[in-house]
Amino acid sequence: MGYLQGFAVTFKKLTEDRVTTEYPEQKRPKADRLHGRHVLNRYEDGMEKCIGCELCAGVCPANCIYVRGKDNPDGDPVSPGERYGFIYEINYLRCIHCDMCVEACPTEAITESKLFEFSFTNRADAIYTKNELLVDDDGMPQHLPWEDWRPGEDEMTSGWMRATASSGNAAYEGKVAWSGELGYGVRAPEIGQSQDAPPADTSDSGAH
Amino acid sequence: MGIVGDVLDEGLEGLDHNFLTGNIEELVKWARARSCWPATFGLACCAIEMMATGSGHYDMARFGMEVFRASPRQADLMIVAGRVSQKMAPVLRQVYDQMMEPKWVISMGVCASSGGMFNNYAIVQGVDQVVPVDVYAPGCPPGPETLLHAIITLHGKIESGELTKRRAATGAGAGLIVEQRDGQASPLQIGR
Amino acid sequence: MTDTQPETEASVTIVVDGQEVAARPGELLIDACERAGTYIPRFCYHERMKPVGMCRMCLVEVDTGRGMGLQPSCMIPVAEGMTVDTQSEITKKAQDGILEFLLINHPLDCPVCDKGGECPLQDQTMAYGPGESRFVEEKRHYEKPIPISDTVFLDRERCILCDRCTRFAKEVAGDPLIHFQGRGNQTEVNTFPDEPFSSYFSGNTVQICPVGALTAKPYRFKARPWDLEETESTSVADAVGSRITVQSSRNQVLRYMGVDSDPVNWGWLSDKERFSFEAFNSDERITEPMARSGGDLEPVSWGAAIAAVGDALKNTDPSRLGIIGGARLTNESQFAFTKLAKGVLGTDNVDAQLGDGLPAELVLGLPRATIDQACAPGGTIILMGPDPKETLGALFLRLKHAAVEDGATIIEVTPHRTGLGQYAAHHLHPLPGETAALAAALVAETPALDTAGVSADAITAARAAIAGDGPVTVILGRASVAESAAVIADAALSLTSIPGVRFLSALSRSNVHGALDMGMSPGLLPGRSTLASGTANWPNTPSTAGMSTAQMLQAAADGSLDTILLLGADPISDFPDTDLAERALANATVIAVDLFETASTDHADAILPAAAPQEADGSFTNLEGRVTKISRKVTPPGTARPDWIIAAELAMAAGGDLGIESLDDVWAQIAAVSPAHAGIDTASLDANQRDGVVVEGTLDLPAASGVSPAVADAYAYRLVVSRRMYDAGTILANSPSSAHLASGTALHLHPVDFDALGLDRGAEVTVSSATGSVSLPVEPSGDVPRGVAAVPANQGDIVVGTLIAVGDVATNVRVERGDS
Repeated sequence: MGYLQGFAVTFKKLTEDRVTTEYPEQKRPKADRLHGRHVLNRYEDGMEKCIGCELCAGVCPANCIYVRGKDNPDGDPVSPGERYGFIYEINYLRCIHCDMCVEACPTEAITESKLFEFSFTNRADAIYTKNELLVDDDGMPQHLPWEDWRPGEDEMTSGWMRATASSGNAAYEGKVAWSGELGYGVRAPEIGQSQDAPPADTSDSGAH
Repeated sequence: MGIVGDVLDEGLEGLDHNFLTGNIEELVKWARARSCWPATFGLACCAIEMMATGSGHYDMARFGMEVFRASPRQADLMIVAGRVSQKMAPVLRQVYDQMMEPKWVISMGVCASSGGMFNNYAIVQGVDQVVPVDVYAPGCPPGPETLLHAIITLHGKIESGELTKRRAATGAGAGLIVEQRDGQASPLQIGR
Repeated sequence: MTDTQPETEASVTIVVDGQEVAARPGELLIDACERAGTYIPRFCYHERMKPVGMCRMCLVEVDTGRGMGLQPSCMIPVAEGMTVDTQSEITKKAQDGILEFLLINHPLDCPVCDKGGECPLQDQTMAYGPGESRFVEEKRHYEKPIPISDTVFLDRERCILCDRCTRFAKEVAGDPLIHFQGRGNQTEVNTFPDEPFSSYFSGNTVQICPVGALTAKPYRFKARPWDLEETESTSVADAVGSRITVQSSRNQVLRYMGVDSDPVNWGWLSDKERFSFEAFNSDERITEPMARSGGDLEPVSWGAAIAAVGDALKNTDPSRLGIIGGARLTNESQFAFTKLAKGVLGTDNVDAQLGDGLPAELVLGLPRATIDQACAPGGTIILMGPDPKETLGALFLRLKHAAVEDGATIIEVTPHRTGLGQYAAHHLHPLPGETAALAAALVAETPALDTAGVSADAITAARAAIAGDGPVTVILGRASVAESAAVIADAALSLTSIPGVRFLSALSRSNVHGALDMGMSPGLLPGRSTLASGTANWPNTPSTAGMSTAQMLQAAADGSLDTILLLGADPISDFPDTDLAERALANATVIAVDLFETASTDHADAILPAAAPQEADGSFTNLEGRVTKISRKVTPPGTARPDWIIAAELAMAAGGDLGIESLDDVWAQIAAVSPAHAGIDTASLDANQRDGVVVEGTLDLPAASGVSPAVADAYAYRLVVSRRMYDAGTILANSPSSAHLASGTALHLHPVDFDALGLDRGAEVTVSSATGSVSLPVEPSGDVPRGVAAVPANQGDIVVGTLIAVGDVATNVRVERGDS
């Protein structure tokens, strides 16, 4: 009569709560450290953070990023300093969302959002250019028609950043960060950098 | 040309001028979209996510897709999940050829779509070199939601008839158009 | 700096980190340590320049007998028993401290800096530096990059004051236009006010800058070092054959860098060699074959174009067919076209020189010198040719070094003072057309007389220098295209009577020496052999010598030549007599194999697009006869093909077969017909990648022609038309950063002659010769002797070629006020 025990399991499950998430009507909440599609950030004054340094392209294990820098136009600079990202393209049919670009970026220009629901019917559509990647005037990622954004998802765009500085020095707070033309200043401590540091104040980092 | 001629020439696509047959066509497309049985083609890590998509939390049965068929004869959709090695490519093509029309292909994950980070001699740099791909799902691997998004995209395309039209026009699903170059030397006179 | 065996020569023994090391006497400690495998970090020290000890990075603990102490290893020569510790705590602390000091004012804007990724300061800070700075004060600020010349930008914030660029400008290039200014913390490198760093060699400062303070416009922000791929190749911008690395990213060449080739360029490049590659990336490149149908050039398929051109070549009588040009091609392509012409089509009307060169038999027949032989310490160098600073930049740097550092004596035998003039011991400026008379006077036994406008005293002094102990080398070329080649040939033949004299050809047009070696000259076959002596067993080889470029153009203008094949040649811009070239091309069927549309291809009935040097493998023969490899880095644009493939296909279409399917096939055939090239093939060129293989072999010298110039009236000036580094040539005109650097045409007169005109500087004058007249601005110049009128060639604005009649020994012109 062992099979009755088996049926018992089935009938018991019938009465339990369903575990199914009704995607696309509902979405499960995303993990804090999920790596979704990238955004290119701006400073609060609207300047682009990207300086076209190609460090992201250099570190990318899948070679999915193509960047070319250019001299900032006289009188109408795109980014602070001499150089800006003239071409910025990410091929999402190569990107493995490893976040190395985000770690490599010296200006926190590129971060990853939590948006992971998108698909393409054409290879060419999968190459995002600066037009698609750059945040809008409010600092929010663009909601492209073929992507499945839900309320609140665009607010976690730079929710997690690597806790150590690019030099590998975990005690990064209180030090002058890379500045050059980007202004001098002391970087606010970030979560995980030290135990006694106050939690990061994300509002003044300029990133969204 | 009457309705019969249009149907002979263009299949169901030729029927869209008549409200009655138009609704039958919509019905056929709806039916195709709602019972799109996948053939398993799990090749690597993406297959784990594909399995997850079929399990309780995401439950592809909601779309009438829970039956992954082991026989290509019974499948409508091939989900290429994972990196396709050069040796696997002919097998993949054979399975695709054995599937009955109408049939669709989802390239799941970056390895299937473009080789991803495996830009080397062993891996086919994009499965669309082997079979016509209808929808590409990015990600490494794509999560179940991404795969479901791709499936929903595919359903939309099936219901709108866009894919069938495009494949009839180009003979492919990947939007790739191969032009035959004229290699014949045409007579040409120079000088005086 | 070749690695000769130190154990066979006198050597001193030093102890480096506990290891006994043999060093050469007089060698600097930093070099001795490096050869022994111990790298000492440095910024200011450069092995091709004198040490200055500016940066202090190379401080190591040295015991010279007085106990261990920190000393800059780039400033102390090795001595017997010297003990060096490059790893001691004190050395490490010194390196650490120096780097911390260097970084005090360095902006650390590495992400935007072009040097980031290949920066010695970055690398050495990682390897030897402190990791953290204690400097929290405000850094020094300057205006971000300021252009110090047309191609170079200077960012003084990044500068670490190593003195490399300023030393290069002063010591190596001889253009001390940048220098340290200010004192202490305010010290900066800059140009003098209102005087840009307009040196022909400015690009080298960008290459040797150890930080990103100097950047070059063509490469600025184009790519980063980690996405560059490179291959070593040879520069084709002039005939020196400098070794370069070609660096590309995403199938686009982005920069050339000099490679230190000991026998040739020592790592230096002229700006033309360094920056003119931009033309090969130009959108103006011809990307598909074109043929004229109904008045316009229309794109056609390769099959159709080859068939049509093959028919045109096959159906022209060989005596009515000519091939002009070929100096742009690689050796392999030159061989293929020579075989096409002389083996398949059966014409000997082939000339790679455009009437601005020297007779091939002369260049190949004279005893040849290498650059090292010419620059031997204590030697005598007779400069009887063009200004090397203008036409052969890297050779100029070697000659200048020989004169300034190695005690070589330079005798200038040119129509006017050259860039080498300030380093020359003797300045003889013969009147154009009378160089041969002066050369004869230089080697004559009889007491010197005033000859060709040169005083007897000057000739006597020069004779003494020639009779000195050192080897004598003649730099031989055409200083002026308004003077006949026969004059220079006669002069060279006179100079062969100097005991042990050697000649270094100064023909500057790219691979022209390869063309001569491959038989692209009337009467020659590959391998420095003549039609009579050659061993090429080709079916249709003509037995009598054909026409030179001048004769071909004359024949075409007269209607006795039907078809002209132009191989990367633009006779309308480059042939001395512009008028004749225009008439000839208008009168014949013209087929061009070229990279660009030029004034001459406007007359073409078919154009076949060729691959540029960086787009095809091959080899290059420089002015010494040194064969080095040219390497392919990127793919050609459109359907352009390497020239040798075009030649092979044309041969097929014309009913022959070159038997060439690969470069190895070409070398096998060259080896079969040319004893001079025996032993050279792709494998031996690969094995001698850097220094190449020098081709030996010689021809019988031609006889002297004994020409003398027409006697002019007392009002006439002798015209000198000389080449400049920047002109309106096709390659430079298509290089965005070099195109605007051509100086423009102006007539230069001796100040006394200029004053006699009674005009303002820059006023228009009318210059007229027997064949034409042009209107030019006039300027006084101290470099020009009296009675000579000097004009730069091919500057693109005013065509002076109409003044020159080909065949005239010298060109007499009258200069009149424009308003008269």
